[in-house]
This record gives sequence, structure tokens and C-alpha cells, in this order.
Amino acid sequence: MEQLLINGLIAGSLAALIAGGLALVYGVLGIFNLALGQMVLLGGYAVWWLHQSVGLTLPVSIVGGLLMAGGLTWVTFEVFIAPFYKRHRFLPLVTTIALGMILDAAMLLFFEARPRSILSNGKNIMDIGGVRLSVEQVYLVVLTVLLLCVFAYVLHSTPFGRRIRAVVQHSHAAMSLGIRASVLHRVIFILSGVLAACGGIFIGIDQNLTPVLAFPITIKAYAAIIAGGKGNFWGAIVCAYLIALLEQLVIGIEWFGRFYIPAGYQQSVALLFIIVFLLCRPSGLFSFKNRTA
Amino acid sequence: MKRLLSFLSCVAVLSGCTGGGSSDGTDPIKVGYLGPLTGEATSYGMDTLNGVKIAVEDINAEGGINGRKIELIAEDGRCTGTDAAGAAQKLIHVDKVSVIIGGQCSGETLAAAPIAEAAKVVMMSPLSSSPDVTNAGDFIFRDYPNDALKTKAMANYFKEKGYTRVVLITENTDFAMAFRNSLKENTGADNFVLDEVVEPGTKDYRSLLTRLKGKEFDVFFPNGQTSATVAAMIEQFREQGFLQPMVSHDVAQDKSLLDLAPKASKGMHAINVPEVSVDSAFGSKFLSKFGDAQASLAFAAHAHDAMRVLAAAMKEVGTDSMKIRDYLYALKGHDGVVGRFRFDKNGDVVGIPYVLYEVKDGAWGKVADIPVD
Repeated sequence: MEQLLINGLIAGSLAALIAGGLALVYGVLGIFNLALGQMVLLGGYAVWWLHQSVGLTLPVSIVGGLLMAGGLTWVTFEVFIAPFYKRHRFLPLVTTIALGMILDAAMLLFFEARPRSILSNGKNIMDIGGVRLSVEQVYLVVLTVLLLCVFAYVLHSTPFGRRIRAVVQHSHAAMSLGIRASVLHRVIFILSGVLAACGGIFIGIDQNLTPVLAFPITIKAYAAIIAGGKGNFWGAIVCAYLIALLEQLVIGIEWFGRFYIPAGYQQSVALLFIIVFLLCRPSGLFSFKNRTA
Repeated sequence: MKRLLSFLSCVAVLSGCTGGGSSDGTDPIKVGYLGPLTGEATSYGMDTLNGVKIAVEDINAEGGINGRKIELIAEDGRCTGTDAAGAAQKLIHVDKVSVIIGGQCSGETLAAAPIAEAAKVVMMSPLSSSPDVTNAGDFIFRDYPNDALKTKAMANYFKEKGYTRVVLITENTDFAMAFRNSLKENTGADNFVLDEVVEPGTKDYRSLLTRLKGKEFDVFFPNGQTSATVAAMIEQFREQGFLQPMVSHDVAQDKSLLDLAPKASKGMHAINVPEVSVDSAFGSKFLSKFGDAQASLAFAAHAHDAMRVLAAAMKEVGTDSMKIRDYLYALKGHDGVVGRFRFDKNGDVVGIPYVLYEVKDGAWGKVADIPVD
């Protein structure tokens, strides 16, 4: 049982990284970014490339990878989002699908179909009271939680964060108070890309990178933000962990001491989660915190 | 709408014209290639396509088939049935190829087979090993051995080692599922402690493996479609502290598995077709042209030999499908890169042996030959 909780924590940290940024983008701009999974993978691949091919040390590679991911998301925003989203918020839905296809092909071209792992020498396993996990996983989980806490601090306790929240709640009202919403739109979008890239690095260290992983990642992140409530950063994070934990429990537990649920159903958990929430609480688990203007 | 229709009929007439006049004896012979050029299994597609390309270049450099050059047309099957069926339709009815090399994934071959069969076009797969391909049709051949034989060899190996309690995790693809069914048939369904099927591409096996805590078993069989998933399986298996031996098949015996899971793969076994050395004539040619094989040089060699044996057939009997088919069934033996082989009455290859491999010092090494009865 403890092992299942740890497994859920590992999987949930990955999901939370990706869903967190997405929640802000969806909350602020009201747009769907369907190239999110590809951005996740590109972040991972960039670090793999810097670490394994260029030969930089891991910390430098990670910083470099995040910078590259930030740059890419900025370009993405200017080319695929900015010209469209003000006309209609569904237009980026189409443009980001196109972007996703382009990135899929680009990854195959530059990184080949071979699966890649960021670390070249296996993991160091440790055993804490019957629960087994690797040192790398401890780093990943701790860093993720730390990153999310920093994010929360900035969002809730700094003037900059207050401006972001203002834009999240009502973009035009915020603008009328002198907040430069268009700049913040870019900042938020780039941040979401960087968080996504962190997720890719997580995958590249904990599992391995393959170019076609993208779509399931996107779906899971959307499940978390729908369940968490529109634009609710914390709701998305909590739901990401919740979905991941459920996924582990569903197949790890011997239900009623009699039978196991076949492992093939694990991936349906996220989808089932969306359906249940849309039926019972269409505005999300934490929607009551949202103020409407 | 009217304009569109007339345009379409115009195109149809034009394409009919170009397709019709292909028998004057000097224009190229069209050969179709069908395999995963994008998607999770791209490495198989790249290797086999490159193998075919080497054969085509050599044949054309030798002056072609009775003076006619080979024109290779490659289509993407994405390792899925629907894409492969579309690609086969295009190769047969639009490009009007004489023969097809493909599919690579068993799912591709099984979906394309009825289309090739109906159009009476000979199709030869260099990689599909699913037992279902055996009865896929009269025009369907393969120069890669049937998994029914491999699972038999594996069942014997389990018996020899005294492995009676097997843990099996299978990725839900045509190839891996067929392997699972065939293995269960040969090993006995009661011998499986855990037998789970996961969605293709799953990378998180931790909780599934948690179920094994406190259970007794002898051997773990990661039955994945790609080395990426097998790597995740074996790494998380060792992570959870299980020390049991691991045995797998063709997919695992791949260099990339050792890069992905250098510690976990130590001592792992695999039963596979014989390797093709990079020092061989074919190996060095492949290396200088395309660099390292993305999955395995043996895959490329099987694809190369498929092209070669089809070229030999067309040289002998021309491009008539019936005659090519009959030539292949009657063939006494073809000396290819992978050895001397022929085809049985179902179009399955005969003459390719198996080898037991083990990971030693960070590389796959041969342990023993496994005879095929």
C-alpha cells in the first residue's frame, strides 16, 4: 500500500508539472494548446541532446533545455497563438494541432525513432521500510514540489503574482487598471511551456523518451484541469496528483480481496475522471474559489 | 460539383493511361514497400527500408531485372492496421506495383494481406512473426520465422531451466498478443502467476509489479512491442527489488535496450533469429550508407533478402503474380545474407534457426544455438 502511494506520488508529480502550466494558459487565455505533449517531449529531448550529444553536465543541460523550451514556446505563441486567439478562442485549437504534427515530425527527424534516456547509467535504488524507489525519483519528486511551492509563492505573495491573478480573473478589467495584459499573456504561456519541459525532463530521467508519447500526456493534463476547475492552478495540481494516485490504486489493489482490475484499464481512469466531473461538478472540484466578474 | 467530377474522371483516365502501358519491356518494375516510417515503431521501418534500398541499388547497378530497373515506392503503415490497409490500397491500385515488401509490424501485414490477396499481388514480409500471418493468404510470404516456432523453443527453454511459474506483461499489439497466446499454448496456461495486458506505449508498470510482492515466481517475461516499453518494464521490475531472471524475444535483443536500462538489462536473456555481423559485407555496406541500424541489422538483412528473392523470381518468370507465387513455393533454396532459406506451403520461411542471447558486459552475446524442429 505504501508502495502504491509512492508510485502515485511519482506519477502525480509528473502530471502536476504539465497540468499546472496548462491550467494557467487555459484560465488566462481560454485557449486549448494541443501541442502540449510535444512541448513536454521537446524539453526532454533538448536536455538529452545537451547532456548526451553535446556533453554538458546535467545541471547545465537542464538549464539549457529549459531556456530552449522557453524560447520555443515564445515563438509558438507569436506564430501560432497571438495572431489567432483574439479573433476566436477556438482558432488556436486548430493551429496547435498543426504545430503538434510539425513537432512530431521534427522530433523524428532530429532525434530519430530510437528511445532515449537522459541518464546513461541506470538508477540507484534504495529501500525505505519496504518501499522501494530510486534516488533520482526522490530528487524529481522533491524538486517538483519545490518548484510548485515557488510558483505558489510568486502567484500569491508577490505583486507580480497579483497581476497574473488579476489577468486570470478578468483580462480587460486588469488592463483598465494599467496592467499590461498582453505581456503577461506571453509570460504565462512561456511559463507553461517551461513547466511542460520540466515534465519532459522528468520523463527522460525516470523512464525514457519516445517521439510518440505526446498525445496521452496531453489528455491526462486536460483531465486534471477540467476536474480542477477552469484556470484554477491549485485545483489542477491537486487533481493531477489525484488522478495519478487513482491510476495506481485501480490496478495495484486486490479489490475486495478477490480480483484485480486488468492493467489495460489503467489509462481509462483519466477519461472516466473527466466524465464523472463533467456530470457531477461541471465547473470543477475547486470552482467555488473562482470569482466571476 | 460537376466541375469536380469531370476533373476527377480526367485524373482517373490519365492515371489509367500511365498504369496501362507498363509492359513494353524497358520501363522500371515498380516494387512497393510497406512499413512504419513514422510512429512508435519507426526504427523497424527505417532499418527494413534501408535494407531494401541496398538490395534495389545493387540490383539496378547490376543492370536491373532483365534490363528493367527497379523503382521502389515506400508507403507508411505506422505499425497500425488502418494505415497499412490504406497504404496497400494505394500501392496496388494507384501505383500498380508488381510486388510488395511488407508490412513490418504483424498488424500491418494482417491488414494489408486481404487487399493483396484480392488483387493477386505477391506480398513478402521481412519482419512479421505473428502466427496469424501463416494463414493470411496464398500470395502472402515472409522470410522471418513464425513465432509459433519461437514460443515452442521458449517453452522448451523454460522446461529445461525448470521455470514453471511465469510472470508475463504484454503490450496490446497484434505481434505481442499473438506471441502471448502462442506462448500460453505451448507453456500451459496454468504456469502463469501474472498475465496482464497493457495499452501500447505504457511506461508506468510500478503498481502492476507491486502485485507480485510476496508471490513466488521463477521468471519474468516482458512482452513489449518496442524496446522503449521493454526497457521501462525491466527497469521498474528490478527497481521493485525482484531478482528473478528475465527472458524476452526479438524486440528486447536491441542495442537501445542496453542504453536505456544499462543496469537492469544485465544478465537478461532473449531468444531471437541469428544476428548479422557489422563486419559482414552487408553489414559494412549498411554502416557506410546509413550508419548504425536503429533497431537491428538482422531486420535490415531480412528485408534485403526479401527484395533479393523477389528479384530472383521476377528475373526467372517475369512480373506475373501467379508465376512469382508458384516460383516461390517451388523454390529449393535461396542463399541470402541471413542464410539459405525456402518457403513452406503456407509461405512461411524454412531454414532460419534461433539463437539464445544474454547481456554480458554491456552487450548482447550468443549463448547457444536453438535447433528448430
